[in-house]
Amino acid sequence: MHNLSRRSFVSFALASTSLLAMPAISTGSARPKVVVVGGGAGGATAARYIAKDSKGAIDVTLIEASKHYYTCFYSNLYLGGFRDYDSIGHSYDNLSANHGVNVVHDWAISVDSSARKVRLGSGANVSYDRLVLSPGIDIKYDSIDGYSVEAQTKMPHAWKSGTQVKVLRDQVLNMPKGGTFAMVPPPNPYRCPPGPYERISMVAHILKEKNPTAKIVVIDPKNKFSKQGLFMAGWEKHYPGMVEWIDNDTHGGIKNVNPETMEIETDLDTFKADVACVVPAQRAGAIAMNAGVTDGDWSPIVPASMQTKADGNIYVLGDASVASAMPKSGFSANSQAKVAANHIRGELTDSRVFPAKFSNTCWSLVATNDGIKVGANYKAGEEKIEVVDKFVSKTDEGNAKRKKTYEESIGWYNGITTDMFS
Amino acid sequence: MVNIVFKFFIAISCLLIFRGLLAEPLLDGADFDYGEYLSGQCLTCHQSSSDEGIPAINGAEALYIAKKLILYKNKELENEVMQLVASALDKEQIASLAIYFNSLEK
Ligand SMILES: Cc1cc2nc3c(=O)[nH]c(=O)nc-3n(C[C@H](O)[C@H](O)[C@H](O)COP(=O)(O)OP(=O)(O)OC[C@H]3O[C@@H](n4cnc5c(N)ncnc54)[C@H](O)[C@@H]3O)c2cc1C
Repeated sequence: MHNLSRRSFVSFALASTSLLAMPAISTGSARPKVVVVGGGAGGATAARYIAKDSKGAIDVTLIEASKHYYTCFYSNLYLGGFRDYDSIGHSYDNLSANHGVNVVHDWAISVDSSARKVRLGSGANVSYDRLVLSPGIDIKYDSIDGYSVEAQTKMPHAWKSGTQVKVLRDQVLNMPKGGTFAMVPPPNPYRCPPGPYERISMVAHILKEKNPTAKIVVIDPKNKFSKQGLFMAGWEKHYPGMVEWIDNDTHGGIKNVNPETMEIETDLDTFKADVACVVPAQRAGAIAMNAGVTDGDWSPIVPASMQTKADGNIYVLGDASVASAMPKSGFSANSQAKVAANHIRGELTDSRVFPAKFSNTCWSLVATNDGIKVGANYKAGEEKIEVVDKFVSKTDEGNAKRKKTYEESIGWYNGITTDMFS
Repeated sequence: MVNIVFKFFIAISCLLIFRGLLAEPLLDGADFDYGEYLSGQCLTCHQSSSDEGIPAINGAEALYIAKKLILYKNKELENEVMQLVASALDKEQIASLAIYFNSLEK
C-alpha cells in the first residue's frame, strides 16, 4: 500500500466502495442474483444465456480476471501461422451492452457458501442466489519434477489463455537449424484431449517450411491418445520422418525436466531439446477448490443440471467439472452452460426446464486444409453424463472432405465465439 | 351475386390453404419455448449471418429446416456432425427447432 500515490489510493477506495455497494443496489431491485466466476467458454456462455433468456428478470454478474479473453481453441492455429493473435482475442463489452450483464474485472478470491457470498480481490463481497463457477484449469506445477512457475518461460506449457503461446511461437521460429522440439503432453484427464497432437502438427507445419531438418520428439506420459490413428497417418503423410512419438511403456516414465539444460529425463534416456513445450497435469481452477465443491482435483456434478453434488446453489461448468464421458473442451463447456442456464432460470423465475442435452465436436488441423474431427452426443444419466452416439473422421477420406472439415471448423470458431460474446 | 359467391370461394380456399399449412404434419407438436432451448445446441456452430464454413439458418423456412433435419436423421444427407445432432432429435423437437429458427431475423 505504501507505494500507492494518494490519488490512486482514492480511486482504489472509490472503486472498492462502488463494488461494495453493488450487492445492496441489486438487493433493492429484488431481482434474483446469479454470479458467474470465469468468463471463458462455460462462464461467458452461461452469463449471456441467463441474462438474454430471462430478459432482465435475473441480475447477472460476471467476474472475470482478464479484460480480454484469448481463446485456447485456435491458439494452435495461431502457433502454426494460420491465424493472427488478435483474431483469437474477444472483449466482454457486448455482454453488458446487449444483455445487461454486470461485468466485473477482478479475481474471485473465496466463496462463503453458507452466507452465499463471493469475495473479490478488491475486498468487495458479491452475494448470490445461484453461483456458477467456470474457472477452467490450474496447472499442477509440482506434478513434474523440476518444473515450476519460473520454468514456464523456458519450457512454456501454453495451456491457458494468454501470451505464453506467443513465447512458444517465437522459440519455434528461432530454433537452430536441424534442432529438436520436444513436447511433453499432459496425463489424463486434461483440457482438450487432441490439443497436444494438433500442437505437434502445427509445429511440424512451421518446421517443414522453415527448418526442414529439425526433429520433433513427443515424450508422452500416456500409451495412447485422442484421434491417434488420424494424427499419426497425417504426420507420416505431411511431415515424413519428422515426428517421433514415444509412449510411456517405451520410455518408462518421465523422471524430471531441467529448464536450464533443456533436458527431459525418462527411465529410458535423457532427451535434450532446443525448444520444449511441457504441459503438466491439471486440476480445477482454485476457486472451485475454495468453494468446497471439489472431490480430489475436480468438481463432481449432477448431470441433469450441472449443479455440484456438494452444494445445490453452486454450478460448475467446463474443464473444472467431472463431466465423465464429455471431454474437457470449449464446445463441451458451452454446451453444459446452456443446460445450467436453463435450470437456473427455472429455479429462479419458474421458467420451463427442459431435459439436459449435451454435445461436443473437436476439430483439429493436421496440415494446410487437412482438418479432422471427433464428436458425440450425450445425455444426463443418473450418476454420469453418458455417450449416446459418436463419430470420428476416417483415415481414408479424400482431400476435398478434409478441406471441408477445416472450413467447417472456421464456421464453428466464429459460431461459438459469437455464442459467447455477442 | 356472382361476385359474392366468388369472394366466398376465395375466402374458403384461403382458409383451407392456411389450415393446410398449420396442419403440416412435419410441424405438428411444435413448441416455441422448447425450440428456443434446443437452438442453443445449433448456435454453438451456426452464426446468424455468415455462411462461412457452416450455413446461417436464422429466418429459414420452417418446413425447409424440418425436412433437412429429417434427411440428416435418415443419413440421406452427408455430414457427421449434423447426422449426430439430428439422430438425437425426435419429431416434436425437430418441429420446435424449425418454427423457432424461422422466427429469428435473417
Ligand atoms: C491448445 C489448446 C487447444 C484447444 N482447442 C480446442 C478446440 O479446438 N475446441 C474446443 O472445444 N476446445 C479446445 N480447447 C479447450 C478449451 O480451451 C477449454 O476446454 C475451455 O476453454 C474450457 O472452458 P472453461 O469455461 O472451463 O474455462 P476457460 O475457457 O479457461 O475460462 C476460465 C476463465 O475464468 C477466469 N478465471 C479463473 N479463475 C478465476 C477467478 N478466481 N476469478 C476471476 N476469473 C477467473 C480465467 O481468467 C478464464 O478467462 C483447447 C485448449 C488448448 C489449451
